Amino acid sequence: MKFEYYIKGKLAFLLSQTMVLFCFSFLLALLDVQTYAIMLFSFLILFITVIVIIVEYTNHNKYYKEVYDALYRMDKKHFIAHVIDEPDFGDGRVLYNVLHLATKSMNDEIARYQILDEEYKEYIETWIHEVKIPISCISLLCENNKNEFSQSIMTEINRIDSFVEQALFYARSTNLEKDYFIHTIQLDDFIRQAIKKHSKQLIHAHGEIKLDSLGVEIYSDSKWLDFILGQIISNSIKYRKDPFCLSFSAIEETNRVCLSICDNGIGIPSSDLSRIFDKGFTGENGRKFAKSTGIGLYLCQKLCSKMHLGMEAFSVEGEGTTIQIIFPKDKSLLIEN
Amino acid sequence: MKIYIVEDELTIRSELAKLLESYGYSCAYSDDFPNIVEHILKEAADLILLDINLPFYDGYHVCREIRKQSDTPIIIVTSRNNDMDELMSMNLGADDFITKPYNTQILLARIAAVLKRIDGKNAADTVSHNGLTLFLNKSVVRFQSMDAELTKNEFRILTHLIQNAGKIVSREDLIEELWQSDEFIDDNTLTVNINRLRHKLEEIGAEQYINTKRGQGYMI
Repeated sequence: MKFEYYIKGKLAFLLSQTMVLFCFSFLLALLDVQTYAIMLFSFLILFITVIVIIVEYTNHNKYYKEVYDALYRMDKKHFIAHVIDEPDFGDGRVLYNVLHLATKSMNDEIARYQILDEEYKEYIETWIHEVKIPISCISLLCENNKNEFSQSIMTEINRIDSFVEQALFYARSTNLEKDYFIHTIQLDDFIRQAIKKHSKQLIHAHGEIKLDSLGVEIYSDSKWLDFILGQIISNSIKYRKDPFCLSFSAIEETNRVCLSICDNGIGIPSSDLSRIFDKGFTGENGRKFAKSTGIGLYLCQKLCSKMHLGMEAFSVEGEGTTIQIIFPKDKSLLIEN
Repeated sequence: MKIYIVEDELTIRSELAKLLESYGYSCAYSDDFPNIVEHILKEAADLILLDINLPFYDGYHVCREIRKQSDTPIIIVTSRNNDMDELMSMNLGADDFITKPYNTQILLARIAAVLKRIDGKNAADTVSHNGLTLFLNKSVVRFQSMDAELTKNEFRILTHLIQNAGKIVSREDLIEELWQSDEFIDDNTLTVNINRLRHKLEEIGAEQYINTKRGQGYMI
């Protein structure tokens, strides 16, 4: 609490003290009291006032300093009323009570939205699981009745499925709680599984797959990483250039493993490169191909940072794009579970 | 090989049965969900495909009840995609866990893998078509008492063609089939493999066995 603020608040008191001083001095002068006695009297009043002001200021200042310190130390500042003591002076008590009521109402409000958010997320998850059943039905029907027509339906149903999957991970990524599980993954096997999962689209695009030195272990959540790889693979397919080639390689360093996924597609203009992980950013390629939602890479980045993984993109326009995922070799990530 | 399908979604169940039957498995199922465990045990199938969301009892309960009395391999097939479900399934003694919508090639590969792991059996020891016999666990093909040994890729191509005998199999289907065994081959490699396979078949007397359907694929 600045001294200046305090003095401003005490203006009325100081004014009255000055008035008292003048009135008494005047009165005493009229009563023929000697000047030095008046001086002494005035000095005494002044002295007492200053002492009172200083004592009171120190007291208030100490209290407010504690409040500020507590506030700065706190992560969730809306719980401030719960950590400070009630002051022993009048104005402070009023403010303390107001703060208590205000933060309580705010916390109630936050809790209400948290519950709403949680319920909505649960609904989305349930809905996604429900909608996967008809998707499975359609894909099985297509599989059992293979012809040109059913193959086209299959392609579209795969697109629906990938959008549904994206929605699921979007719902999961905004969740406040942690619902992933980091464990040891054999990168080699994992990438092969991911390629198999997207085999239809990759084969349809006549993709050539190159795998290089992937025999390393990494720490990650398998479902999330699978989703991230899926997004990167489908981006490579979307923005491909014939003949299409996709290569996966890993480099093991002392404290990290760096997975590079390179394609030879149309690449990303350098002016767009820094923004591709932004939500809703579609860029030049997105506009040209009109298939981009600007969600995929944003989600990848978000999921990566939740799992403490790094993600970077390099590209030369017209030559291809490399997405790098950096896995720290830090076993403490496992302990976090 | 008999597979018991526990699934309450009728379309999925019948289509799944159709798919598995075309790959040489026989299928059984029941709608009597309150007594599903008894039905499963009575059928004594070689493998159980189990959904989690079922009427009356959920898949976990069914899984636990089966495990009390039988070691039949169980693959849990569910649309719920989270770690808790997977962990729970494995703890209850399921052998594998697949999420819907599944890639059918992956489903078939997992079924084959589980069956192989459990007792080294395969759907059948041999498949035959039009005078040609394929020995599944030796990757040898026989035509009129002449034998030829096939490489892994050639064997997979021929198996897939025979399993779909009378139907046109597209090049993309064949590539996908080969990808399931970690061989990410491209178009040109497939052509080379098909040519080698044809050559080997001709050597044992099966001439013009694989027909090319221009622009569509292959058929036997």
